[in-house]
Order: sequence, then structure tokens, then C-alpha cells
Amino acid sequence: MTSAVGTTKQPDGVTAPPRPRRPARRLDVNKTTMIALVAPSVLLLLLINAYPLVSAANQSLHNGTLISSGSFVGLDNYKAVLTSPSFWQAAEFTLVFTIVGVFGSWAVGLGLALLLQTNIPGRGVFKVLLLLPWVVPIVVSATSINYLVATPSSPVPSLFHALGLGTPLFLANPTWAKVTVCVYKVWVSFPFMMLMASAALSSVPDTVYEAAQMDGAGAIARFRRITLPMIARPTYISWILMTIFCVNDFPTIYLLTGGGPISATTTLTVLAYRTVFQNFQVGPGVAIAFMMTLVLVVVSVVLYRQIRKAAFQ
Amino acid sequence: MAEMRASNHVSRRGFLGMGLGAGAAAVLAACSSSGSSGKAASGGSGGTMKFWDMPWAAAAYNTAAKNLVASYKPASGLPSASYQVIQWANFTETFASAVASSTGPAVSTGGGFQAFQYAQQGAIAYADHLIQTLKSNGTYNDFLPGQVEAMKTPAGYVAVPWQLDIRVWWYSKPIFSKLGLTPPTTWNEMMSVGTTLAKNGHYGFGTGAGAGDFLSQHVMVMMMINNGGGLFNADNKLDVVTPRNLEAMEFVHELAKAKIIDPASVSYTTDNENAQWKSGKFAMGINTAGLDVSTGITDGSLAPMPGPLTGPHGDKACLVFQNNIMMYKNTPSQAGSEAFLAWYIKHMSSYWQQNLLTGLPVLKSIVALPQFQAQTPRVEAVRNWLPYAKNYAAVGTVLSPSLAKVDGSQQLTAFAQTMLSGGDPKAALQTLQSSLEPLFT
Repeated sequence: MTSAVGTTKQPDGVTAPPRPRRPARRLDVNKTTMIALVAPSVLLLLLINAYPLVSAANQSLHNGTLISSGSFVGLDNYKAVLTSPSFWQAAEFTLVFTIVGVFGSWAVGLGLALLLQTNIPGRGVFKVLLLLPWVVPIVVSATSINYLVATPSSPVPSLFHALGLGTPLFLANPTWAKVTVCVYKVWVSFPFMMLMASAALSSVPDTVYEAAQMDGAGAIARFRRITLPMIARPTYISWILMTIFCVNDFPTIYLLTGGGPISATTTLTVLAYRTVFQNFQVGPGVAIAFMMTLVLVVVSVVLYRQIRKAAFQ
Repeated sequence: MAEMRASNHVSRRGFLGMGLGAGAAAVLAACSSSGSSGKAASGGSGGTMKFWDMPWAAAAYNTAAKNLVASYKPASGLPSASYQVIQWANFTETFASAVASSTGPAVSTGGGFQAFQYAQQGAIAYADHLIQTLKSNGTYNDFLPGQVEAMKTPAGYVAVPWQLDIRVWWYSKPIFSKLGLTPPTTWNEMMSVGTTLAKNGHYGFGTGAGAGDFLSQHVMVMMMINNGGGLFNADNKLDVVTPRNLEAMEFVHELAKAKIIDPASVSYTTDNENAQWKSGKFAMGINTAGLDVSTGITDGSLAPMPGPLTGPHGDKACLVFQNNIMMYKNTPSQAGSEAFLAWYIKHMSSYWQQNLLTGLPVLKSIVALPQFQAQTPRVEAVRNWLPYAKNYAAVGTVLSPSLAKVDGSQQLTAFAQTMLSGGDPKAALQTLQSSLEPLFT
């Protein structure tokens, strides 16, 4: 007679210890079900991702053209790319562009998200308006920026001139062009960071702040000791995403400066594109793209480790 | 709790795999040569062949071209033709992926050196038989001298020319009149006129080298050609650092120093350039034969100069691109491609009759049309400039696949930007030579 699941009453009246369950079998069933459910998606992902990946890997080891694979050249394309000054110049600007893009947009986005946490009048309207740079198509906003800064008589250079600050060549001077491109990137990206930060901030309980305030913590201390640690996880996620957005950003550069002047604002993505589609050097171009992928994966893994650490805290 | 949360996460290895896959796919997909332009309206077996055309002018041109192609009535057994506009943005990818996947056109216009490039890669159907047909029906003799022969390679004719994209010097009549200037005829005069213009707030070397604007490349090459130089030597080998080229670039350097060149032109797009012409900041400069139309200043205020400037050694030259129509091996019928192209060449005069194109015609019969003769700047370009025109192959004479690598290249853009910024001519030429050399190995 079984009084309860897994418990058997013995003839002598002594209750035997629960019979060991068979978790292994149940887990096997669960595992099989899970694998069966996930398999179609995994297969689809493999099909979608593996083909271009393998095809591109193959191309990076050949000296082919846009319509033929060419002959096998081993790692020659990688050697050629790594010994090219234009690659390192592009890598340097990609680094700058990414650092400014990620942390600049994060700082602005977080600042605005904190501001929007307060009960300022018209908060809803501001939220919508602040999203506009992210919502407007890049083609439109890049054209607008061009109108604002391109010629010496454009509105912004005219304003600088009127203020006695000279007439900066925002897109024609290599240094100014770098600044313009980076500022533009921050401008189009901060709404994304603001959204991420807003969502993260809303998950921090008010009681924590109230307790800290009762303990005498000031605003800066509360921000450093409570806000930043408690939104760390979504922050790292937003950094990973924005790093990928920045490194892979093609239209911002291509529409605004074309990578110029004198290659000053050429990023690795733009360089890869040009190498393949303007110089018709498919192998070296794909090699650049491969190395970018590798770097992105490494950066993502490092940031992912931070996410895990944050999750355990 | 923390452990439970951790167990819900994707493992590091899993994340690495996903990141590698997703990242690589995103980055590399654009660089993969595989792809397809789709099988819609396939010319492969459906009795219709595809004709791909570029936006050579305002939208009205493509509408007219579509209507013209629709009016094509093939002979019995030959395929009809469908019309497709291919945008200039990323057109090399569009053609490459289509050709690689055998979903491309049977006949197309395209980049000036595209036919040579694809011929080298075995995708072009040579036009020798068609040229024979054009010779037998008299059309060949209607071509302006040398135009058809420019398409000839050792393996055959890679294409048939259909219009010319020429670069000429323009000037603003009202500004010149106000300042009491006459159009210069020599480089020395050009420097003098440019200096006067600069003193009066105008620029005498209007051009642009910004995003998507290749004019400055053409301008620099034209200055070299105008001085008896060019990117290639007589053996058709890349040879940039020559005394004539150096002299030409030193002249450009002097123009930059004298503030005859707008320093912001380094970043000008075509729209920026047009705005500078319209505002009167640009008063002189090299541009296409359609500058008046593209700026909207069609009242005769903008005019081409009487002819090419004479360089310090007496050379007179300008730059021309011979735009052409090519046939591909991937066609439902080679006879059909040839029949269509022969018909198209014969009927394309309607574009000039309707004033839809600012490119120069290659047929004498079109030049003679009253509608074309009414377009004064274009007529002057044909009469005064075309006889001196040389192509990108100068000092060499043979168009080749290599030119596709040079035309529109980042190396040439960076060179032009350096010169417009007042950079050192010799160093710039040396950099150009060394950066272009790997493209030819």
C-alpha cells in the first residue's frame, strides 16, 4: 500500500525511506524534448550563418574576384592586410569611433534617463522628442548634418564665425571631420542608451534609495553605490550592443564623409567595403571583415564576463 | 538564487559561438560574392531577356527608356526585352552578385570600364558580330571617329559605345563680366583669372571630393592629361610619378596656395558643389557637359570655355568617359541580344530629341538633330572639346580592366583630397603610385 508517492509502508510498520527517484531518466526526457524544440532554430541559424561564414572564410584564403573564387593563397591576404598602413589607420579610427560612440552615447543617454526619472513637466513629450535622432533614418539625418556643416556658409560654420571662433571646416579638415563623425554617432545613438538606462533604472526599488538616504548617503554616493551597481548588467549589455553597432556602422561614415578627408574617418567596415567593391580585392577585403569579427567576439566575451559577474552580485 | 540565475544564462562557449556566427554573418554577408538578383522576369528561358540600365539623368530618362524598350518588337523566334533600372549606389555589388549567380542581364549599360572588367572574367559576349552587322547596315559610319574602336581589345569588341561623359572647363558669365575678365586659354591666364576671382570672393577651381563625389578624381587626372601626362604610360603601365604629372600637380598646389581652390571642397558632395555654383562662390571649374542642367542655371549664365586650356608645354586635352552597352554570355539568345542592341542604338536618338540626357551622343545623326543643336553647351562640347578628349588610359591608348580598379578608387579620392588641401605634390603622387600598385599585381 502506498501512502504517498515514493513512500512505502513496510509490513512491520516501519516506514521505509523514500525510494530514490529516477531523475536521470526524467532529465533525459526533458533534455530530448528541449533538444527537439531547439533543433529547428539551431539548424536554421546554422544554415543562415554557416554558409556565408564558410564561404567568406574560403574567399579570404583565395585571390578571387567578385564572380570567381580564384586560386588558393593561404594567409597571404591576411599578411597583406596586416602590413598595410591603411588597415592600421582604419583600425585606429575604428577604436576611437567605437569608444566615443559607446561611452559618449551611454553618458548622454544615462544622464537623460536619470533626468527623465524626475517629475519634470512634459516628461512624456521629451521622451518622444529625444528618441527622434534614433528614429530618423540615417540617410535623412546625415543629409541634414551635411547641410548644417558642409560649406563655410552653412549654418554652423556661420555661427562659429559670428562668435569669433573662425570658420571650421567640419568635414574637410581631417581632425574636425573625426570630431564631427564621432559627435554625430553619439547624437544618433544616445536614445538607444537612454531607453536601456530608463528600463534599468525603473527596476531599482525606491526603498533602496530611501534606506540609503536614511543612512546619510548623498546624491553622488547613491548614484555610485546604488544606481551604477544595480544597473550594471543592462549597462554591460548595452555596451556590447553599441560596440557591435559602432564597429559595424557603415552608413554613418559613408554618407557623411565617405571615409575622408584623406581616409581620416575610414573605419574597418568602410575599408573592407572599399577593398572588395572599389578595389575589387575580394580576399583582402573579406580578411579585414574576418579580423573585425574576431575582435568583436573577444570584446563581447570580455563584456559578457562582466555581465556574469554583475549577475552574481 | 545567484546560481539559479547563472544556470539560466547562455554558457560562455555558447555565447562565443552565437556571437561568432551572428557577427560574422552580419559583417561578411555584404562582402560575400554569392547572392542573387532573383529570377523574376528571367531572361534565361522565358522568352524575355533583361536589359539593365542606370539612372543616367533625371527620372524622366528612365521612364522614356522603359517605354522605348517596351516598344521593341523582336523578330520571330527572338526574345523580347524587359527594362530594369539599377541604382548607382552599390551597382558593382548588384552586377557582381547577379553575374555570379547567372541571374544578371543579357544586355546592360553600367560603369565605363565594366565591360572590360567582366570580359576579363569571361562574362561578356563580345560584340564583333554585332559590329559587323553595324558596318553592313551603315550604322558604324554614323559613330563619331574612334568611338567604336575604343571598345576593341585583343579578344574582340567588349561593348558598343552609346554616349560620352566629358569634362570641360566652365565659367560664370555674369561674374566674369562684372570683374572684366575673359575666359582663360592657358594655364598662366587661368592662374591670373583665378587670383582675381579669389580677391573678389569667388573660387576659380570649383570641384568636390566628398562622400560619393568622384569629380575631383576626374579633375586631377584631367589636369595631368592636359599637361601631356596621365596615370599610365605609353605601354599602358601604371606610371604616376612623371615630370608632367608632377608639374600639373604643382600647378594645382599653387592654385590651392593662392586660395583659388575652396578649401572646403575636399568634403563637397555634388549637391554642395551645385549650391556653390548657384550662390556664385564657384565662378570657374571643371565639370560635366551638363553642369548648367544639374545646377538649374539654364539661362546661359554658365558656359563652357571656348576650348581646353593650353598647358605650359603647349598640350591641350580634356577627359572623356566612353559609356557603353555590353552584352553578357548569360542570355537566352545571343542573336536576340545583338538584335536588341542594334535596334536600341538605332532608336536611342529619342533621348536627345526629348532633351533627357546631357551626355554627348556618339552618333553623328544625333549630333545633327535640331533638338540637340539647341543645347548650346553640349554642342560646344562636341565641337570645341571632344576633338581634344582623351580617356583614363592616357598616356596609354588602350582601355583595360585595370581602369575599373582606378576609376572611383579610394586611392584616387585620397590623392585628390590631398591636392585640394594643398598637400605636397610629389609625396602625393608617390603615395598614389604605391597605393595603386597592389591593385595591379
